[in-house]
Amino acid sequence: MSATQELRGLSAALDAAVDICARCGFCKTGCPTYPFGGGFETFSPRAKVHFLREFAMGREALTPEWSDRFFRCTTCERCETVCQTDIPLIRLWESMRERLVRQGLGPLPAQKRMMENAAAFGNPYGESPSTQTRWMLPEHAPVEGTDILVFGGCTASYRMPAMLQKGVTILTRLGIPFSYAGGEEHCCGSPLLRTGQVEGATGLIGRNLDLFARRKARTIVTPCGGCSKTLKKDYPVHAKSLGKPFDVEVLHVSELYVRLLREGRLVPSGRVERVVTFHDPCHVGRSQGLFEEPRELLGAIPGLRLTEMQRSRTESRCCGAGGGVKAGYPEMAAAIALDRLQEAVDTGADTLVTMCPFCQGSFSQAIRESGAKIALAGLEDLLFESLWPARAA
Amino acid sequence: MARECTGEFRRELERLFGSSVSFDPQILRSYDHDVGEMPGLLMAMVRHRPDAVVVARGADDVRSLLRVCRVCGVPVTPRAQATSGYGGCIPGKGGVVLDLCSFDRLLAVDGKSLQVDVEPGMVWGELSRRLASHGMDVRVCPTSAPSSTVGGWFAMGGVGIGSLRYGSIADTVVEIDVVTPDGDLRTCSGAEMEPFHQTCGTLGVVTRLRLACRKAEVLRTPAVALPDAGAVAAFLERIREAEVHSACAQSAPYCAMRAEATGRAPAVKEGFLLSLAIPEGVPDGGVIEDAARSLGGRMLAEDVGEEEWRERHYPMRIKRNGPSLLVGEFVVPWGGFAPALADIAARLPRDRLGVEAFAVRGGTMAVLVYMLDDARSPIYPVRMVKAMVPLHVAARHGGRGYATGMWFAAAADAVFGREKARLVRARKAATDPEDMLNPCKTAGPALPFLPFVNLSRCILTATAVLEPLAGLVPAARPRSAGPGGES
Repeated sequence: MSATQELRGLSAALDAAVDICARCGFCKTGCPTYPFGGGFETFSPRAKVHFLREFAMGREALTPEWSDRFFRCTTCERCETVCQTDIPLIRLWESMRERLVRQGLGPLPAQKRMMENAAAFGNPYGESPSTQTRWMLPEHAPVEGTDILVFGGCTASYRMPAMLQKGVTILTRLGIPFSYAGGEEHCCGSPLLRTGQVEGATGLIGRNLDLFARRKARTIVTPCGGCSKTLKKDYPVHAKSLGKPFDVEVLHVSELYVRLLREGRLVPSGRVERVVTFHDPCHVGRSQGLFEEPRELLGAIPGLRLTEMQRSRTESRCCGAGGGVKAGYPEMAAAIALDRLQEAVDTGADTLVTMCPFCQGSFSQAIRESGAKIALAGLEDLLFESLWPARAA
Repeated sequence: MARECTGEFRRELERLFGSSVSFDPQILRSYDHDVGEMPGLLMAMVRHRPDAVVVARGADDVRSLLRVCRVCGVPVTPRAQATSGYGGCIPGKGGVVLDLCSFDRLLAVDGKSLQVDVEPGMVWGELSRRLASHGMDVRVCPTSAPSSTVGGWFAMGGVGIGSLRYGSIADTVVEIDVVTPDGDLRTCSGAEMEPFHQTCGTLGVVTRLRLACRKAEVLRTPAVALPDAGAVAAFLERIREAEVHSACAQSAPYCAMRAEATGRAPAVKEGFLLSLAIPEGVPDGGVIEDAARSLGGRMLAEDVGEEEWRERHYPMRIKRNGPSLLVGEFVVPWGGFAPALADIAARLPRDRLGVEAFAVRGGTMAVLVYMLDDARSPIYPVRMVKAMVPLHVAARHGGRGYATGMWFAAAADAVFGREKARLVRARKAATDPEDMLNPCKTAGPALPFLPFVNLSRCILTATAVLEPLAGLVPAARPRSAGPGGES
């Protein structure tokens, strides 16, 4: 099989996509990882598309160095958002990673461990599934058979349990019935899909699809940007190919909060005297188009003032954690987070707010390491503080 | 004679630049082209692949590189974002590419004089964003502002958004620091600065630019439908005295191409769309509406103009349906705009031509004629002759080329004006007689096996001779294809 035929094997659409690149470089100036390639053009999305075109014509070969360049991407989607010709760049990068994995040129060792852990424990961190529910409080009372199924996600469940805990407490106190499959919930597959380990991801997705069917879930709510993106965008495709049902509405938790706000069931009344700046998580904002929802929620909190960073909404910069980069290139991920943190500090806000456990983890580390004078809060923290001011302390 | 990047020279580069120099062939291949899709045969006639790349982060890097390369006789090609298609940043004799994209700081902002100092790799869009917090904005910028650099645009020369009010990039640059071929750093302005403008860094590498800026202001963005190119030119004459910031004309076929690419309805189905940007506080006294009506045109809905303004940096969306794009570019007086377009359409009767044109202070238009094509087609190299038709035709209507770069270096007399071109050649001969700093851009490259034959001259001459036949070459996209196809 020739290189052209092999590349065509990715998909005809992606093959055609590399030909329409305008070489304008808008993707390059927006890319958070390009500057970490020593400033060489070759590390830019534009150069990667050019490489793929040359590769398709048999003039370039896949090498470990090119594999490294393809694995550096955080899949933040900024390149795709600014592309003049609407090339589906993220699908292109993920397809290439899948191919690199097939050829033994990927994934990175830390990413491979994620897959091995997920296969053995159901989560990429290698935590015992028995600890998946340890964030739960006595007041949390999941109800079997209700429409809403809370999908905690691995990062929130095992690494950032406070955000999951607070989010579920809000639902509980608002009297929103929900079910929860703690201990049975598997990784959504996002870390594996983003790093080309599709085979491993498919197994996890299949198990989750069976779980959703068993639970008769009609709405899945998750606090995680990565999980919600994957459940919305990847699960329908995989469900079809696996022949499993997936007639489910997926919501990032901010979408549920906004619904409740608009229905008058969530009424933030306590004053929260903070000046905050909001970081749009890539996989919530650009991936799902949820830009106004968090701002509507923040705007509903009395006393709270929002000041935007120089780059926000579609222009928001990445926290550095996505696409397996935090695991594969921790130093680069940390540096990207620091850059973004500085933008937040520059606004003069006293609090940086976000709504994704990956982003919170990145900024938590960045604040710790830099000593930046800014607090970090989840959207649910501020809502909680306003909803139940006395108890918030 | 240019030497290779080997041995002692290579070690010296490694000593000077450490991890900021690369000899990796995979990296070098990213630097052997610009936005233009040139046929392999043409590219094979120049040594377009560099032997090394140096990423500069300051003027000292530029000085060090130019000095060591001069001593060792190795060519240096400065390059920023390579968003032009004239070959101006493509190496002509191999050697070292000097990547200036990371040399990009905002050095100073003077809110009183409305001037800023920037390094050459500063991106226009980023500069505009950074100036917003100072209540300032750039005067002019290219449509490629989200990626193109201040230094790159000055080195290539150009007009774009804001040019109806403020002229070209040359009218906005007040002063530059430049490293000359011998590695010396000079500061210059006015007439002394002019030779460095448009000449692709062949006379020196710009390391700092002082730009005149404007106060940040809200712009209103009306859009006008006009019946034809003549009405566009007449309209511009009518609003000459109004303080219009920017005016961009797009033909109906261009609007149709874009509509096909985006899935949105075309802004106009016949004639021209003229998108304007006018400072909010500047009353136009009804001149816009009056001019539109008296010329058989009409004001379009507000959202049309707003959409055009939002999309001002995205003229290449049409390439989505290419997959390739042939572009003919020229500058012509307003009075020559309509006759030139009519002439071009007559000479390329089969082709679907999309036209985009920016009005420039002083009464000229910078015009782009687009033809969708497919570079994978075996006759693409032949069809490229069609992209030269607009340039040759424009010359008959008082027009000239937009830029020179490498491919059109032999057109310097027409593009720069004879006097400037003579000055540039004289300075080049005096300061860089072996043509080591961005070689092949002053006169054009020589053919590899016939070094006395100039490739740029060949391109210009051959396409001029073949121009009458260009219309006979089958069109990639016939004029009748799709809405707006007839012009």
